Amino acid sequence: MAIVSTNSNISRYGRPVLAWGVALLFFFPIFWMVLTSFKTDADAVKPEFLIWFTPTLDNYLNLTENYDYWRFATNSVITSVCATLFTLVVGIPAAYAMAFNPSRATKDILMWMLSTKMLPAAAVLYPMIFLAKGIGLYDTHVLVITVVSLINLPIAIWMLFTYFKEIPKDIIEAGKMDGVSTWGEVKEILIPLAWGGIASTALLIFIFCWNEAYWTVRLTTIDAATLSKLIEGNRAPEGLFFGRLSAVSTAAVGPIVVLGWFCQKQLVQGLTFGAVK
Amino acid sequence: MTNRSLPRLLQAPAVLLLLVWMLVPLSITLYFSFIRYVLNSLRRPEWTKPALSNWRGFGNYEFVLNNKDFILAIQNSLLIVCSILILTVIFGVLIAVLINKIFMGRGIVRVLLISPFFVMPAVNAVLWINMILDPVLGLQGLAVAGINEVIDGLRTLPVLGGFFSMWPEIEPISFRATQTSAYAVITMVTWQWTPFAVLIFMTSLQSEDQQQKEAAVLDGAGAWSQFRFLTLPHLARPIAIVVMIQAIFHLSLYAEIEIVSRGNGNKNLPYLIGEFANNNIGAASATGIFAVILANIVAIFLLRMIGKTLMD
Repeated sequence: MAIVSTNSNISRYGRPVLAWGVALLFFFPIFWMVLTSFKTDADAVKPEFLIWFTPTLDNYLNLTENYDYWRFATNSVITSVCATLFTLVVGIPAAYAMAFNPSRATKDILMWMLSTKMLPAAAVLYPMIFLAKGIGLYDTHVLVITVVSLINLPIAIWMLFTYFKEIPKDIIEAGKMDGVSTWGEVKEILIPLAWGGIASTALLIFIFCWNEAYWTVRLTTIDAATLSKLIEGNRAPEGLFFGRLSAVSTAAVGPIVVLGWFCQKQLVQGLTFGAVK
Repeated sequence: MTNRSLPRLLQAPAVLLLLVWMLVPLSITLYFSFIRYVLNSLRRPEWTKPALSNWRGFGNYEFVLNNKDFILAIQNSLLIVCSILILTVIFGVLIAVLINKIFMGRGIVRVLLISPFFVMPAVNAVLWINMILDPVLGLQGLAVAGINEVIDGLRTLPVLGGFFSMWPEIEPISFRATQTSAYAVITMVTWQWTPFAVLIFMTSLQSEDQQQKEAAVLDGAGAWSQFRFLTLPHLARPIAIVVMIQAIFHLSLYAEIEIVSRGNGNKNLPYLIGEFANNNIGAASATGIFAVILANIVAIFLLRMIGKTLMD
């Protein structure tokens, strides 16, 4: 390391400058959205107010009036929280069994689970609508939560599996020797050790549920519609409402982007299924 | 309860749920793809209910294959997916190598860089197509207008004015138009997924053998040959994984295409399915089966690759 880093001045100052430049460039669209959200709709399209303008909070204060924001946000929260919980409730036992009692079929089961993730959503959209309308669940929370859970279940099981696998088996064995029951084994040994892994899985799944933009849009009309649906419904304001549109967009992605900052590492593991370390 | 049945019991809910999730809708799609089934038909009202008596065999598949939109949609799917893959991998490797050393504010740089990945797709598309790429009111429009104004000013210069008056006015590009909307989609998805590639390559670079690198430096290897013969081979696997995962996600791209152009001249396979599904469910289902086949080709490669490293 020492040898590599004693380079010329260019690499000493050039690298940070370039890195900062690239980072700011990538962040710029988000910055621009947040900046525009503090402009009035009229100011937002005037070149003279590009950077210097009188900031206003009106766009945020009128979120309810302009977009009925809170109803969609509430739906997003309900969907994401319930779907995350449901995913964990189904996923933790499965991942636990596969990590601690692997059988010859475990690898194949994991692979198969992952392959369900690759089923193109569009291919099964109409049957889903057909079924949902048939049993009267179209545009309900139950349906959206179920579907969003199922599309994230494979990733959750994979993530939990890779975490559980890291836990030394000796500890569990020692517990068994001491006569700890299976439930006690889970409660006293596994959960304290796996807590970090479970938490980061939950965080990542929550983010995916929040950002889901195919099923939540296609399977809802009003009652269970999430923020994705709200934003898509306002796709083309033709410049009239840049200010308020920026505000509602910022309100829709802000919490998640901040949450995302805290789980960068888990993202790598979760999305590569432990194949990149 | 015996030692073997408990693990099975614990896995059962997940396995059963995923089994139902995969098999039931897919079987229905398969069934619909072989019958005549439309949502509205005044002439043939019997086709508006799914029934075996409306059996069409491979007719829907033939119809889809002969539809000129189908070939266009496949081409467009491939154009969009391949462009995004190439761009994200190139940018991803460059940026990952760039920030792989410690420098001032590296933590903040990482946070700024990863942010686009967490923006929901609908917001991504609305933000880019309106606030940034709009030919009149977006930043693109304002920038083009500004440049034209500067050139106009230069035209009045005493001597050089003649030179500048030969310059044409710059026209802003409308990214909602038929030919350009794919590029807008490629731009916004590349923006969103480059951070993902960076993150994975960066993680992989941290496990690169530093001693080997130092040895290479002692042997007089330059920065380029270090990159070419040490870093790039080390990144081969992560690159393959990034390509595969993105291929799966981007083959089903929908929100961005809907928002940018409503599929105007820019349909991909999922969008075409959606269009057929407005009335002709049979054709939509047949197209869906083609999409499943396409996704499976990609999936087989990915599963093989991950499967190798699963149990170690």
